Formats: sequence, structure tokens, C-alpha cells
Amino acid sequence: MGTVLTRLVRAEWAKLFSTRVWIGLLVGACVLSGAFAALFTAFAGNPDSGLPPLDSPEYGQLAFSLATNATVISVVLGIIGITQEYRHRTATPTFLATPQRGRVVIAKLLAYAVAGIGLAVVVCAVTTAVVLLYGNARGNAPDLSGDNLRVLAFAGLALVIYTVIGVGLGALLKNQVGAIVAALVYLFVVEPLLRSVPATAGAYKWLPGGALEAMTATFQGPDLLEQWQGALLLLGYGLAAAFLGTLLAVRRDVV
Amino acid sequence: MHGLTKTFGKVRAVDDLSFTVEPGQVTGFLGPNGAGKTTTLRMALGLITPDTGTATFNGVRYAGLPAPMRQVGAVLETAFHPARSGRDHLRVYCRATGLPVGRADEVLDQVGLGPAGRRRAGGYSLGMRQRLGLATALLGDPSVLVLDEPANGLDPEGIQWLRGFLRHLAHDQGRTVLVSSHLLSEVEQTADRVVIVGAGRLVRQGSLAELRAGSAGSVLVRSPQVAALADLLRGDGTRVELTDGAPDGVTVSGLTTDEVGRRAFAAGIELHELRSHTSGLEEVYFRLTAGQEQYAARTEQGAA
Repeated sequence: MGTVLTRLVRAEWAKLFSTRVWIGLLVGACVLSGAFAALFTAFAGNPDSGLPPLDSPEYGQLAFSLATNATVISVVLGIIGITQEYRHRTATPTFLATPQRGRVVIAKLLAYAVAGIGLAVVVCAVTTAVVLLYGNARGNAPDLSGDNLRVLAFAGLALVIYTVIGVGLGALLKNQVGAIVAALVYLFVVEPLLRSVPATAGAYKWLPGGALEAMTATFQGPDLLEQWQGALLLLGYGLAAAFLGTLLAVRRDVV
Repeated sequence: MHGLTKTFGKVRAVDDLSFTVEPGQVTGFLGPNGAGKTTTLRMALGLITPDTGTATFNGVRYAGLPAPMRQVGAVLETAFHPARSGRDHLRVYCRATGLPVGRADEVLDQVGLGPAGRRRAGGYSLGMRQRLGLATALLGDPSVLVLDEPANGLDPEGIQWLRGFLRHLAHDQGRTVLVSSHLLSEVEQTADRVVIVGAGRLVRQGSLAELRAGSAGSVLVRSPQVAALADLLRGDGTRVELTDGAPDGVTVSGLTTDEVGRRAFAAGIELHELRSHTSGLEEVYFRLTAGQEQYAARTEQGAA
């Protein structure tokens, strides 16, 4: 079983790196987090922007949490990882090679969790580089230590978990375009709405977005969980998506 | 296959279907479109769960085979990522099943796709796609091959190649080959046995010789003494019809070319042409599946 799983994880990496999708996603994630970091650094302390000044502890944590802007890319990476099998009908040869479909999905979860780690490392490095270099150029960069470092680490962890959630979501929905659209609508429309409407704001902290915010924002904003609680909750969402996705992929007919 | 049944919605795509495929032979799996061939093959390969019944390879269900790709190779549809090269596509499955990645190049050469292996599969012609599918099936050097409509989209040259290749795999290498088609002519020159299905049920199975014995087909004859020939053959109740567009030609049903030639010679009638028109098997196939097209079409919709 152990060696079988290793083989399957390697096969997933072979699939991922034999097309160029991953390059686009990686570049997109770097641009997204880097651009936000540059924008926030540029306007830090500007009274019109409402951003805290460069030398404040609030700014430090905010700046390093900007790496989480790439979570949308993580989700898409995970979704593509599994839905491409259905989109291009390669689910057939994949499940012919490994009729134990649960193993295939578990291998995908593992393979993409590791890919998510790679993505997180690069995104965090880009974010840090922009925050430090640009901040220094403007005269005062936050330290990468203490709370700031913890925020960055949690942001990286969130990127990994969102990749796993993406795999689970893809396994549930199968349709690539549908799953990506659903994820985008949820992340950019549904969650912000729930967050801002007073009646639902209390439930927001239990949602993935609320958990993510709890992990990376230690000040202001709505009522949130503790940092570690947020991480556990998000991990729970990742595992739930993975479990449901596996269950469905195993049972559904491949036609 | 034993007692396989599968219902999609209200449509029974496969209905209590049982048959056996023998090793070292090419078995044609024939039936009109929508007769349940693809569903049957997918059930056999564990991709679709049958409502009832089982399909086994040497007594073992596909999902229970310890190394399925090394025992059974299947070509069900042309499935690959268009941006991935054919070679990388094959290497993925080498990795997944623990085969050496060098097998990818070997099977590419085997199906004549070697030079195109490093090109993106999305740019392959239909025939190349079918060859890539076949290459995938051959990766594990399996003793059983299952192919669903492999000739679809092939040009005449490709079909010719495929026939020879399948015969080579079965007769020279002793593999078991099950190949489905909705066209009899595709399997007639390749298969040793045929299993015919219609509307999800077994219609007939047996060797080609057995099925041919049921009917002799029809023969085209041209003769300057066509009227005399027609009278002669009609004498014992044989059906003879004038051929459209050829004033000196007739179509004779139920006799072989040998028989027609012998009788004409005995009666001193000059013949200008004598050839078989439809094979007996073709008529058997049409008769066996006649009237099931309509129902089959409905099945297709339900299964889609």
C-alpha cells in the first residue's frame, strides 16, 4: 500500500508537470500576492487609504498576511488537479490503471498538498521580498519575526489547505469550469456578503474565509476564532472536502 | 460476463447478458449503436457498477486483479490531456502502475507512433489518437485486450493496419482480444468468433463459420443470356432478381458463386461476371438486429 501510494503520488506529479498549467498558476499566485504587497506598502500610512503606517505592528502583520491573496490560486490548482481527469476523460485510463479509486483520490490529495507547499513557499517568499525590499526603500520595513513571522507561516499553511479543499471540491463537482466558477463566486461574493451582513456576520467565523481570517488577522474586523482554532477549522474543511470527494469518486460510474 | 444488467433511469441498457471470451482468439462484440456494448465493456472493467451480474477475467473481477494493466489492456475512448505529449501520457501510467518508464517508448514504436511521441497529443490526427489509446492498453503487455470501437475514425489504411495488428496480437502472440464494433465488415476479417447483442440482450454468439452456415448470401451475375440463366436458376425455387442499372445482370440469393458457376456451365450459359455481393454473415447480422435500431436509439439517449 505504501509503495503503491508513492507510485500514484509520483504519477500525479508527472501529470501536473507534463503540462504548463502549473507555470501559469504559480506566476499568477506570485503576481497576485506580490502586487497586493506592493500596493499596501505604497499606501501604508497614507491617511486616505486607511492603512496603518509602515512602522506600526499592525502594518507588519497585515503586510505578511497578503500572501493569502493567492488562496484563490490554491483552490484552482486543486480543482484542476482532479477535474482535468473528467474534462479530458483521462479518468478512464487512470481508474483502469488503479481500480481502487480511493487510492487515486488519496494520492491526489497528498500530491497536491505537497504541490501546495511548494506554491506556498514561493508565494510567501515573493510576498516577503516585496514587503521587505519596498518597505526598506520607503524607509522602514517590518521585521520578519515574532507575530509577523507567525502570520506568514499561517498564511502559507492556509495556501496548502486551500489546495486540498480544491481537490475535494473538484472531486465533488467533477465539472472543471463549474467548480472554478463556484469557488470564485463563493470566495468573492458569498463570503464577503455573509461577512458584512450583520445577521450572518456571527456565522462568518465558522466559514473557511472566517477561519482564514482568524489565522492571519490578529486585529480589527469581525468576531473571529483564535489563530490555532482557525487553522484547525480550515483543516477540518479540507479533510471534509477530501473525504466527501473520495467517497463520491469511488461510487460514481465513469461513463 | 455473467448475467450483467444495468439500467440508466428508465432504460435498461444491458439486460441479463452472459457470454465468454476464449483465449488466443479475436472475438468481435457486435451490435447496433446503443445496443449496450460500451456499457458492457465498462462494467467488465469496473468503471460502471452493474445492477446485477458479474464480469471476471480468469475468474477474478477487474478491481480484484493484483496488477490490472499487466493482465488486461483496454481502449475505451481516446482519452488524453491535449497539452500533454503522447509519450508523457504513457509515462504517467507507467509510474502509476510501477512499470519502467521506458515502456512508453517501446509501445509507441509498437503502434508506429514513435516519431510523434514528443508532440502534444492535442495535435494528433484521429488515427494517431486511436494508436495512442492502443499504446496505453499495451503498456503492461497484457494477455487480454478489450477494445471499444477501435476503428472509429480510422482511414482505410489505418483500419487495414489495425486488423493486421489485432490478428498478430491474438494469433501470433496468443492474446485474448475482445473488440466491439457496430459494423460487421470491421470485424468480419479479423474476428474468429462473434458475440452479437441488440437492445442490451445477447442475440447470437458463435464462430464466424457457424454463423455463415445460416445463409449463403447473394451473388451478382452478368451474362448475355441473362433470361435463360434466370429461368434455369428459378427452376428449383431460387430467388433471382434483375440488377438495377445492368440489363444483363441478376442478383441470385441463397447460392454460392461456385454453385451458380457450376449450373451455368452445365447448361452451357456464358457468364461475363460472377461475384459474391453480400456475405451470408452480413445478412445474418441484419436479420438478427433488425427492428432493434429504434429501441437501441432510445437506449443511447438514456445512456448518454
